[in-house]
Amino acid sequence: MACLGSVRLCARVEKLCQIGQNAQVRRKASSVRLKQFVDQPLTRSALKSCQTAVAGSRLLSSVRSQQPGSLPEYRVDPYQLVDDDLKNVHFDVQEELRRHTSHDELYTIAQYYFDGQGKCLRPMLCLLFSHALNFHIHKKDMPLLESQRRVAMISEMVHSASLIHDDVIDCSDFRRGKPSVNVLWNHKKVAMSGDFILAVASILIARINNDDVTICLGQVLTDLVQGEFMQLGSKETENERFTHYLTKTYRKTASLIANYLKAESMLAGADEGLTELAFQYGRNVGLAFQLVDDLLDFVASSSALGKPAAADLKLGLATAPVLFACEKYPELNAMIMRRFQEPGDVEHAFDLVHKSQGLEQTQFLARKHCVEAQRLAERIAESPYQKGLLVVTDLVLNRMK
Amino acid sequence: MLTSKVSKYLMRGSLGARTLTARPAGVFPAFLHTDCGRLSAVSQHAHNPKPDWNKAVSEAEKIVGYPTSFLSLRWLLSDEIANVALHLRKLVGSNHPLLKTAKGLLYNGKNNMQAWGLIVLLLSKAAGHHNVNEMEEDKAAGVLHSQRALAEVTEMIRTSHLVHKGLVNIHPGLVEEGAVLNDMTFGNKIALLSGDYLLSNCCVELAALRNQEITELMSSAVRDLTESEFVGQRDQQNNPIPSHPSECSAVDDWTLRSELSGGRLLGKSCEGTLRLAGHNKEFSKEGYKFGKHLALAWQACLDMEPFMPSAQHSTGVGFSLVSAPVLFHLEYDSSLYNLIQVGAENVNDVDYAKIQSIVSKGPGLAMTKRLRQEHSQKAMEVLAAFEQNDARTALSNIIVAMGEL
Repeated sequence: MACLGSVRLCARVEKLCQIGQNAQVRRKASSVRLKQFVDQPLTRSALKSCQTAVAGSRLLSSVRSQQPGSLPEYRVDPYQLVDDDLKNVHFDVQEELRRHTSHDELYTIAQYYFDGQGKCLRPMLCLLFSHALNFHIHKKDMPLLESQRRVAMISEMVHSASLIHDDVIDCSDFRRGKPSVNVLWNHKKVAMSGDFILAVASILIARINNDDVTICLGQVLTDLVQGEFMQLGSKETENERFTHYLTKTYRKTASLIANYLKAESMLAGADEGLTELAFQYGRNVGLAFQLVDDLLDFVASSSALGKPAAADLKLGLATAPVLFACEKYPELNAMIMRRFQEPGDVEHAFDLVHKSQGLEQTQFLARKHCVEAQRLAERIAESPYQKGLLVVTDLVLNRMK
Repeated sequence: MLTSKVSKYLMRGSLGARTLTARPAGVFPAFLHTDCGRLSAVSQHAHNPKPDWNKAVSEAEKIVGYPTSFLSLRWLLSDEIANVALHLRKLVGSNHPLLKTAKGLLYNGKNNMQAWGLIVLLLSKAAGHHNVNEMEEDKAAGVLHSQRALAEVTEMIRTSHLVHKGLVNIHPGLVEEGAVLNDMTFGNKIALLSGDYLLSNCCVELAALRNQEITELMSSAVRDLTESEFVGQRDQQNNPIPSHPSECSAVDDWTLRSELSGGRLLGKSCEGTLRLAGHNKEFSKEGYKFGKHLALAWQACLDMEPFMPSAQHSTGVGFSLVSAPVLFHLEYDSSLYNLIQVGAENVNDVDYAKIQSIVSKGPGLAMTKRLRQEHSQKAMEVLAAFEQNDARTALSNIIVAMGEL
């Protein structure tokens, strides 16, 4: 009897373990979204102590990875605030793509990155900002306009189309923890799928039927391509290099966020001043986001990033941490010029960046942009959404992937 | 190398401009007047029994002003194009197909892209426009500035598609040497970016028209082009391979492929340009028909070329396995499929000379000719509804000249 009981117990324990495992898996899947960070955040005070205590990246990365139980300053989760609209973004995109083609293979490639695993930062920002602005303009909580929801969705489409083309350009192997599109399908078809997503996005933009919005969102595409062109060449002198980097960063990342928020504000019926505020908020958040991205390339593990670490160096790109490190270690200049092509360059540069203040300086710059974004957001009427806009800047600054 | 071609092109452009000032649009040579309904230009070409394609095109260009290619000075001087030219130079000596595409853009063969924008402008002028602000008209050419922009967009969309199509599928075992692999990777990078550059400019130009109907229409044309690369079986470089003749009819297969890869683009541009001119939807749909059928006639015409008696001595590498004569022949005699299947992995593995000689002896060529005539005829029928004017005449001349290529 006892024996039987213990067997039963064992089976139960085993089952429990399985359930636990499943839960873990599920948590893992959902933690890919930034959402989780609010539950275990680096609060502002923690940040401050981080600011003063930072002495080398080791510490930086350990501060990043510890999960203090301290209470967050805001109990606002930006993702939660717009969850109703956000949770369907990927599904809606898939539906639109499906509606526009009868070719299964084209559809399969095009929808590959709309698997619900991305951070959805851009649509989240669009939705959050639209809510905040609607509240600001109408002095009360207003449902989003259908067109505002569409713009949020399109932002994710354009972003993914650019990712798909980036994958071909950079010959990357992994993205978001799974094989890149260019690994699974041939380059020509992948390029065409990117064009396809873009074409569908343009159709949807046109259907919003607002001339200024179409113009505003068209600008994003030119910026993206010009940014990519800038990344090809680095002939500029040492002095110009940082300006070049910042312009490139604006075009490749910030322009999309800035212009999409601007479009959202136009749809909300905002005046010129408010539209400009939207643009500048987006620009600053975008710049900060990319600066942190470049920083994480040096400190985060490849498993957290879902792509190989030090990827930028391997691609021959000199990002902010390297450019800052240059001041202390001029020998980096030669490596930048030859795009880290010689054996040992990547490792050597990686070490020098960690020995220098490059990472702290990059974080400092990112923080500066976040502070500016917060200053702008504070000019909008107070609402949960407006609070969300403030919290987002913290999320951007303290994210780990 | 590149620059010399560019300057050659520019010289040609400036010459064109000079002839334009010397001969205003209205004074068009009488010998090009034809009766478009009958599809003939015989009497007008008495001194030259074979209507000259280049002549038909270059005369037509004068009607709407200057050559409409987007490769105008404005573009050549832009930073990004300069950047591309710089990078292209690095690729010289490599085998990347991007070079071939670039060469094709700068040379003026009879398959040139410029003709597409030209068609759009000619149709614009032939149809005239309603209720439009005077400021928006290019008086000398008789078309609207917005229509000229649309013509430019048409060419850019087509070019960007060709450039993206020219990417190389890099797969293990494609090349042995690391250096060649680097060339290919780099070439792909430039090709992808150049195509994207053109596409993004299309979006900006379309947006500037402030006409969402046109933006949607042209965006859907881009979508159609991307779909064309997914039709049917493909080899490793994504070159199309015909399906087995038992699976679908040759005409249907050919029509689907040709519509997606060009017919709809030209059709939608022609439709769009009529909408810009204030024509109603019904009449604009006629524009779509015209553009589509013209593009299909054009495609049939290009498909015939390698199988013409005159082309026999050039041992025929480089015709598409889904060109109309091959598809028609497959339907007539499916045993040809065995020869084609050899190219399932790489179309270059098939014996082109053999296929060429078999197809030339079969009914494929005659059937393609009939196909071309059908589409020419349909395009001509649309034109017949237009008032008689020099642009309409030029369009019918182009169609006639195509028939004689």
